[in-house]
Amino acid sequence: MSNELCTFALKTTLSEIKKVCPDLSHSLIFDKDANILATDEDTSQENATQAAHALNALIGKAEVIGGIDSTTFETAEGRVSLICTPTLRIATVASSRSEERFVTALHRVLVPTVLELAEKISQESSEEISQESLPNNFTVTEETITTEETEQSNESAVQEQPAEETIPIEDELSAEPSYPEPMATQFMIENVGGLLVSTDTVQIDNAAILQWNETYEDKKITEVEIETLSGQTTRCKFKPIKDTKHNGKGVIRIPKKVQLALQACEGELVTVKPVLEL
Amino acid sequence: MVKKKKQTHNDAETEMMEGITITATDQEPTFATIRLNLIEISKKPNVTGYILRNSTSAVIDLKDPETLQSFAILSAEATETAEELSRLFKLGKVENILIEGKNQKIVCLSVGENKINVFMEKDASHAAIAKQLLR
Repeated sequence: MSNELCTFALKTTLSEIKKVCPDLSHSLIFDKDANILATDEDTSQENATQAAHALNALIGKAEVIGGIDSTTFETAEGRVSLICTPTLRIATVASSRSEERFVTALHRVLVPTVLELAEKISQESSEEISQESLPNNFTVTEETITTEETEQSNESAVQEQPAEETIPIEDELSAEPSYPEPMATQFMIENVGGLLVSTDTVQIDNAAILQWNETYEDKKITEVEIETLSGQTTRCKFKPIKDTKHNGKGVIRIPKKVQLALQACEGELVTVKPVLEL
Repeated sequence: MVKKKKQTHNDAETEMMEGITITATDQEPTFATIRLNLIEISKKPNVTGYILRNSTSAVIDLKDPETLQSFAILSAEATETAEELSRLFKLGKVENILIEGKNQKIVCLSVGENKINVFMEKDASHAAIAKQLLR
């Protein structure tokens, strides 16, 4: 499953839960190796990592009670709750005023559901991609077989068709590797500006760029196509976000000029596709 | 309007609030008092044991002594984790911890300098036990 899609889905879920529960101050989702899968916007990566390590150390020592289902730490100024699901660990920090049962129930239901949905969407889109890229190869193979069969029947030849005849076609196909349709990634717009910032270059999460480079390793990618939810599109140059605190947050930093061209503004969602140069 | 009246007598402070009298001694419940409470609590069928300790003494009572080490390690780790989380998110003093496992649960409380860990079956009422200890 695409990590970005997963992170985006979980992050959105956390911020939506926070809107419903204003007493919630921090929330984070991590896995059994303390990898942070998502945090809300008020939780720093450093704090999240330290909290995940501390909680995982506790979980690791809970075999005597059959593993941890949930944990609550009540303090003078709030409450930390940990919920363990088979695949994820969800930690929330809330004020003592918050309704713990409500907050826990929301997380227990929403987070796994959203994750499952994101997985399903990801699977379906990858199936679509493979279906789009496969038919050409299949058609050619079938045609080859049909042609061979026809030739054989016409000639009534006992001799088998030499295998070499089909090989060149396959070689021809393998010589030009088929790339999947450029994958669209969803990002949230953030403003970027300043004297040293180029007005025609957007800044994108480095993880997304690395993934594109892996997927289309032979292709040069110098531009991206950005599309808003209303269908406005533009092409522009891109570079990775240098500031690490913005990485992994599913944001694209777009200069005002490009935002105007897209008729979009900060906080809106856009899909971004790499433009593959031939 | 809330009326408050404070008077001190015999090291005890009495507060009058809307006709309700709350008497709190200026001393926290002693180690011995808590221990007596824990003895009562441990008689309940779904309570599997407890650890009570302060800087000078410790009492351990577990129905299955073989699990002592694991429970002690888990309780200590829970306290450390709580302190770490409290530091990270600036939450102040840790008051109590509830760990719900698949089979059992643990309530960790601090009463003054006394640290209490009560181990119980999953279906036990931890709230009632905590209330009994804090009264």
